[in-house]
Amino acid sequence: MSIFSRLRSGDLHSLAAPYALDALEPDERRRFEKHLKGCDRCAGEVRALSEDAVRLAWSTTALAPPGLRDRVLTAVRTMPQDPSPAQDAPRARAPHLPPHVWGAAPPPPRARAPRMRPLFAPFATATAAAALVVAALFAVQATHTQDRLAAERAQAREIAHVLAAPDARATSDRDADGRGIGVVASASEGRAVVTLSGLGALPSGRVHQLWLMRPNVQPRSLGLFSGDAPLVASGLGKSATSLAVTVEPDGGSAQPTGQPVVQLALQSVGFGQ
Amino acid sequence: MEADELLVLVAGGDQKAFEELYGLVSGPVFGLVRRVVRDPAQSEEVAQEVLLELWRSAPRFDPGRGSALSWILTLAHRRAVDRVRSARAAGERERREARRALHPAFDHVAEEVEAGLEREWVRRCLDRLTALQRQSVTLAYYDGYTYREVAERLSLPLGTVKTRMRDGLTRLRECLGGVA
Repeated sequence: MSIFSRLRSGDLHSLAAPYALDALEPDERRRFEKHLKGCDRCAGEVRALSEDAVRLAWSTTALAPPGLRDRVLTAVRTMPQDPSPAQDAPRARAPHLPPHVWGAAPPPPRARAPRMRPLFAPFATATAAAALVVAALFAVQATHTQDRLAAERAQAREIAHVLAAPDARATSDRDADGRGIGVVASASEGRAVVTLSGLGALPSGRVHQLWLMRPNVQPRSLGLFSGDAPLVASGLGKSATSLAVTVEPDGGSAQPTGQPVVQLALQSVGFGQ
Repeated sequence: MEADELLVLVAGGDQKAFEELYGLVSGPVFGLVRRVVRDPAQSEEVAQEVLLELWRSAPRFDPGRGSALSWILTLAHRRAVDRVRSARAAGERERREARRALHPAFDHVAEEVEAGLEREWVRRCLDRLTALQRQSVTLAYYDGYTYREVAERLSLPLGTVKTRMRDGLTRLRECLGGVA
């Protein structure tokens, strides 16, 4: 180890306490976390310092506002959970949009699947729909305040993850009244990014809820749309035949209570077999 | 049930367990977020994000790396700090603080609930730190400043602030050890 790199790692090491206090700037935080991965000695120390920092939180307990409980418990009824890291690790991907999603480059070679299923729309023709989904995402980001950005960045990462899947494909549909639904889905990941358009404003106290439709099975909720933001749906099995959107009371319903306002078959994006 | 057991059940999608976990952690989460963010409406918003993130990311919790409560409060602290920094960057904070000075009622009520043994302990232990250790630690943890900003505010070199933070946390550990 050179003197230079020893100095550098010593310097990084001194960031353990500021890191435990969340007192690093984002760049430094990332660099330090990278350093942590390769430093067994640091891990124990950072853990101890972090536990110390958490003790400072003991003195701040306060009664949470009463309305918070209902909102949180209602929301989790329809909110999917992340996969555990064990399931997730083999398919971790860079959180940026690959060129093929934008149509600037040909789709990456796919070993067998496309050749075996020549009936499906090749990705290039579906790219316009993918671009719409992405454009909707950024339009939403641009109009929101700084405060929302952190939450949206987290969602953007999830979306980028779906878009980066080698088998990501897009499809969309629009009815005579201009009500549209767009999907970018990856069958291998069982995930889809769904956007709505032309549905108009909802009366207050109502939300758009997304459902997974499968043959001979009751619809399963995939979550609630919030404003114009795309929804990331996960846990879509190969048997998924279509998506449907209904209007439901705030907080969502256990089963659809009305007719779908839009529907979309998933066959062209690799499902329903 | 303890938070650690509940979190394992929550990771498996158990909504009843989440309800119980909410009862255990909503006070500490909200209190911490409010201490850092200050603005009541924003605090409620951040606390809500944290509690929903707790549900979503429960499957990622690794019990080998610390206690559930620690993990949850670390998550809450990070989100609170992110919020207060972006608000600060937008210059909104000063305006909010001015407004808050006109409406101190909310803080007053919350402070009353806080009163307790733990609070007293932490306060007593913070008092045992040197002034620079205490300021370095509290400006970062309770007010969400980066160590560079802390150095600037205290007119200290960066290296000194890093050391004061480490020494402050270590002394806090020794002092609070008996009630951990």
